[in-house]
Amino acid sequence: MGVTVLLADDHPLTRAGLKAYLETEDTIELVGEASDGDMAWDLIRKLEPQVALLDIRMPGKDGVTVARMIKESTLPVAAIMLTSYDAQQYVLASLRAGARGFILKTATPEELSRAILTVAKGGLYLDSEVAQAVGEKEFLPEAISVREREVLLLAARGFSSKEVAGQLYISERTVQTHLASIYDKLGARNKTESLLLGLKYGVVTLEELIE
Amino acid sequence: MKRRLLLVLSLGVLLPTLTVLVVAGFGIFQHEWAMEKVARSYVEDLAQNMAYKLDQESPAWRRMFPYSMNLHGWGMSSLASSVPGWVAIVNSEGQLIYASSGAENLASIWTPDIPIGKAIEIRDEKGAKYTIAVIPTSENQYFVVAAVEWEQLLGPMVRFNHLWFILVLIMVLSSLVALIPLFKWVIVPLRSLVNEIGYLKWGKDKPEKDDPRAVSEIRSLRSVLYDLSRAAIERDQLRDSYVNDIVKIQEEEKARIARDIHDGPLQAVTAFIQQIRLFKITSARGKSNSGDHLHLAEEAANATVRELRELCDDLSPPWLELGLANALTEVSERLSRHLGIRVTVDVPEDIALPEEYILSFFRVFQEAVNNSFRHGVADSVSGKVYREGEYVVFQIQDNGKGFEPSPDFQKLRVEGHRGLANMKERLGLLNGDLAIESSPGEGAILTCRLPFVNIENK
Repeated sequence: MGVTVLLADDHPLTRAGLKAYLETEDTIELVGEASDGDMAWDLIRKLEPQVALLDIRMPGKDGVTVARMIKESTLPVAAIMLTSYDAQQYVLASLRAGARGFILKTATPEELSRAILTVAKGGLYLDSEVAQAVGEKEFLPEAISVREREVLLLAARGFSSKEVAGQLYISERTVQTHLASIYDKLGARNKTESLLLGLKYGVVTLEELIE
Repeated sequence: MKRRLLLVLSLGVLLPTLTVLVVAGFGIFQHEWAMEKVARSYVEDLAQNMAYKLDQESPAWRRMFPYSMNLHGWGMSSLASSVPGWVAIVNSEGQLIYASSGAENLASIWTPDIPIGKAIEIRDEKGAKYTIAVIPTSENQYFVVAAVEWEQLLGPMVRFNHLWFILVLIMVLSSLVALIPLFKWVIVPLRSLVNEIGYLKWGKDKPEKDDPRAVSEIRSLRSVLYDLSRAAIERDQLRDSYVNDIVKIQEEEKARIARDIHDGPLQAVTAFIQQIRLFKITSARGKSNSGDHLHLAEEAANATVRELRELCDDLSPPWLELGLANALTEVSERLSRHLGIRVTVDVPEDIALPEEYILSFFRVFQEAVNNSFRHGVADSVSGKVYREGEYVVFQIQDNGKGFEPSPDFQKLRVEGHRGLANMKERLGLLNGDLAIESSPGEGAILTCRLPFVNIENK
């Protein structure tokens, strides 16, 4: 018995393609298809698939909303966002909403099944194209300090440098110094990247991020 | 060169005034001095004359002393009464020996510091002015005192002098007083107006509407400036709202195009890639259905082309250059297919219009049919084009549920119902107009009217 998957995509052609991808994999069992957000949410509650592949842009509820509803309902369903957009902010928004994976619709069948299997086992999967900015080569990051970790997590939750400074009782300048050091250690160019890299290298966990 | 009104006016008023004041003052003093000289020489002459007579008649005179009454015998009284003023004779002890009539008040004006031999002016306690001279006889035994009251001697001249002085003073004061309202009602309001206008952000601020201090000319100038600045503000606001609209429409258009590309060609190309990959996988595995994936890939590629073509047609319809009749027929058939309702159009072949007219009618038709479908829930829309005098008319009629047309297009625009407002403005750019006839339950008729321009004349 394979990993049960629900596929939600409003575009019939791409849905057919993705369905055909999933059918080539023995380890994956497609249990339902939805063409909009409302239908997806109904099927998720009814079928409780292990993994829900959710298109971000759908009529009715969008994918991010459905992911958030899954998180809030504490159903044992791992959401993977499926999209044509490769903006990193989408990735972050999806992860904050509780998605465990982010994959582009142009991903190969191998990538798709790897993503499904990874999140089904409780892991986190980010599309290699999105994660390209996030360093392709194998790279072992320098350990970040406890303080830097705190700064990174608060920044990840969307707090500004000033707000982070206020929460940690340090100066805004110090926050910026910490962030610069984090970027250096992880090889990131900005906050979003450092966060995605942090997730990738296991410096921070998804649970901490969506806390 | 700066023309300083206040300075010029002040100088123009003040300089002559001051000149008059100085000249008149000088004249008055000259006059006063001349009168003084006349009075002095008069009293000195009078006294000297008397003293001389006394010296001539000295022995007899002494013999007669102290019977002063007899002095008349020397013609004293005739002298004293025939000329203004009076004379008195006192001895060295200060005793009054003789006094002509009118000399009674010698005591009232007498002061010890009157010099001998030289006439001076003194005043009595009532303020009347006298010139008095004391001349001694040759042996200094007696002193002849002669005096004249100015009023008596020079009355009209003194009065004239005083009046003249007062007149000049009044003139000076009134010209000074006239400068005050000039400053308060003209200069100050003008300066404050200039100041306000100088710092005014045209199109944002307006000056004070009125300045009650100012003269009416400045007030009306201010009110004109106020009206102008208000018009500028309104014009700017209108322009801002138009620019806002344009920016908003641009962004909406971009968003719509992006959405169309995302939902259409992007998905179709993604599907195409997926089917190619599936073909590779299935054919590698030797599955019999691998050909299906190629077929699906072809379908996806076809869908991509179709969607891209639709997008292009929608952005800028290439068949507009086929002329009005073809363009409108094409769009009616497309809309009919797309919306699933009946759309017909009737255009006479002989009406040839410039391209911007065709585009205008085309967009209006597109918008109108979409409105009829979406808002009016019409299932049939028909259009017809005809000539009417100097105009070419395009009338579009639907069988929808109709509506209450609002005469205020600007209001419609502000409320976000830009469709009708856009149509009207679009026609307005070509000096045309749009009329709407509709009422609930009755369908709607749009009548577009453009001044007819034959394409050959363009």
